[in-house]
Amino acid sequence: MAVHDPALRNSPTRKPSRAFYFNTSEHLLRIERQKAATLSELLQALQSCPEDSIFQHTFRTLQEHHFIRQGFSNDFAHWSLSACNEPVLAEQLASVDVREFTAIEGLRRRMVEIVDEFLEKHPRAGSHAGHEPFYFCASDIVVLPTAFVADSLSGFLDGLNQVSVHSIHHHFIEARLRLHRMSNDFSQWLEEEVGLEGAAESIERIDIYTNTMEGVRRQIAGFVQKALNSNGGGA
Amino acid sequence: MKLKDQNDKAVSSIVTEPRTEAEKSATIASPVSPAPTAPGRADGRPLPASVMTPPAPPPPPHLDDYKSIIGQAQIDTLRFLARELKGKTLKMVNSTAVGGGVAEMLNRLVPLLSELEVPTHWDVITGGNDFFEVTKAFHNALHGSSYELTKAAQEIFLMYNEQNRERMHFDEEMVVIHDPQPVGLIRSRGSSSAKWVWRCHIDLSNPDAKVWEFLRPFVEQFDAAIFSSQSFARQLPIPQYLFYPCIDPLSEKNKELPDSLVQKVCDEFGIDRARPIVTQVSRFDRLKDPVGVVQAYKLAKKYVDCQLVLAGGGASDDPEGAAVLQEVKEAAGNDRDIIILDLPPWCAFEINAIQRASTVVVQKSLKEGFGLTVTEALWKGKPTIGGAVGGIPNQIVHKLTGVLVHSVEGCAFQIRYLLTHPEYAQRLGVSGREHVKENFLITTNVKRWLLLFRILQEAKAKG
Repeated sequence: MAVHDPALRNSPTRKPSRAFYFNTSEHLLRIERQKAATLSELLQALQSCPEDSIFQHTFRTLQEHHFIRQGFSNDFAHWSLSACNEPVLAEQLASVDVREFTAIEGLRRRMVEIVDEFLEKHPRAGSHAGHEPFYFCASDIVVLPTAFVADSLSGFLDGLNQVSVHSIHHHFIEARLRLHRMSNDFSQWLEEEVGLEGAAESIERIDIYTNTMEGVRRQIAGFVQKALNSNGGGA
Repeated sequence: MKLKDQNDKAVSSIVTEPRTEAEKSATIASPVSPAPTAPGRADGRPLPASVMTPPAPPPPPHLDDYKSIIGQAQIDTLRFLARELKGKTLKMVNSTAVGGGVAEMLNRLVPLLSELEVPTHWDVITGGNDFFEVTKAFHNALHGSSYELTKAAQEIFLMYNEQNRERMHFDEEMVVIHDPQPVGLIRSRGSSSAKWVWRCHIDLSNPDAKVWEFLRPFVEQFDAAIFSSQSFARQLPIPQYLFYPCIDPLSEKNKELPDSLVQKVCDEFGIDRARPIVTQVSRFDRLKDPVGVVQAYKLAKKYVDCQLVLAGGGASDDPEGAAVLQEVKEAAGNDRDIIILDLPPWCAFEINAIQRASTVVVQKSLKEGFGLTVTEALWKGKPTIGGAVGGIPNQIVHKLTGVLVHSVEGCAFQIRYLLTHPEYAQRLGVSGREHVKENFLITTNVKRWLLLFRILQEAKAKG
């Protein structure tokens, strides 16, 4: 019988030669000097703010709101709607998936492009003051170990189920900026060390914008569990 | 008067003198305001005897007591963060050992940091009435009130800071000065390699220019400043961090309660749990807009049956509070479904029970600091309606963790909507609680202090 579930492709699994170290990252929020009172000022600040700020208001804010299933994407979209009452711009900004970017500069360009195009079409919107200013922030980050190191697929599943959601975010979402490739730490390890190419691909396709981070964890665990089941609990 | 917590033994010196003239006169009714009243119910019946005397304070919790709330992984994170700081010492300095949010927070924070083997000392500055009169005036001026900064006031401020500087020792690796009163202690840093941090708990978004210009040179000598909201910060040449205020999920105000106790409190106060309950917990203060809440309730009640509970304090020790309470009573009229409770300050348990019994919680403030009553309601999973002011939008992400309103009419509509859409209301409540768990618990604050300590130590090591 043909296997249609991509998670089960490339079974059976092999014993990993390199353990998976579950880490986590903790962030301390810094208040930056820039702020924007209007959409025009937001555009200017987006062009000149430090990369740390773009990271904070996109990648990091997702982590802060990891429990929301829908309706929250990034701070720029949220401010465009809640403070400036511009739903079109908000939807366009919210549709940007941070996982399509392996470097902050590309993400910044996309955000600038969206706001710029919107203001070209709606020039009067640029000077309306929002209900409250947008305050640019950034994070100081400390990467920490956790109590979990996996040298087998079952150990990996165990760690996955027990680490904090911040660890999931660290390995699954922020990892792109470290790896500079369209992947994540989990998929990379499962593919390279365990030979689970299909599971790695399925994990990479999980939609983080329609799931809570707990939901993401459950889905990843589901793919790993399937692989374990199809190998009789091996690796 | 607030109770002294058992943790007060950690305090090396305690200010016992009366404070400002304004505070001393606060118990005297102004000729134009109604006389402050004894705590009680608006309908004239006395409060239950159980709330008339302060309860004994419970022992402070240990880190592991929070495991069931934040999970083992988060406890591990705190331990991993603290590991590299083991033995490094921290000093917190503020201006009062009891009463007020800062002392309350330090009472919990200091033992938790010490339990993580980051020995934390808490010291309190001393001063005479003249000092605290000046610092109270500074406090109000920094919040935007007009004030004439005199040479004499500056000298009093500097003299007491110098006296405290001579008395105190600063041998720790990190020193945290809370609020403006002890800011002059920064002169003690000298050539020491210790990191000095200014933790500002007040809103500096619109300060009196002269007072701020007097304090600014002190602030600029610190290695970092911490504010409670992005909007409270100033342009400074030092890094500025954001630490949200927090609640303790194990405190009397926020701990889980069995339903039988919630019922008992409701029975004592005449609250009918069989019908929807809309609650606002706040001092009887115009900036909390209790009259606006009564108006919103009356508009909503045309469409949906409910009771309104206004639970707070302030009318018994504050002439303005008594006046506001009178206005609220007048706005309420003879509606028996409006229950107005002027409670003594130690009624944390009763407030907890009332919040837990509520169907919807409102905090319709017109101006607000951070709004910890919102945090408390969100933590209890209650669908919460908040005025879009101060720190409330940090807690209520509109339509995701609660709802924000800008008017009586908006508030009325949201009360109607939440009471008639319980599934939506429940979803907001669930997300609101998660938001607090992530950002506004004492354990998150412990994490922030450890992170800051580590970041500043690493910066020092890099030179």
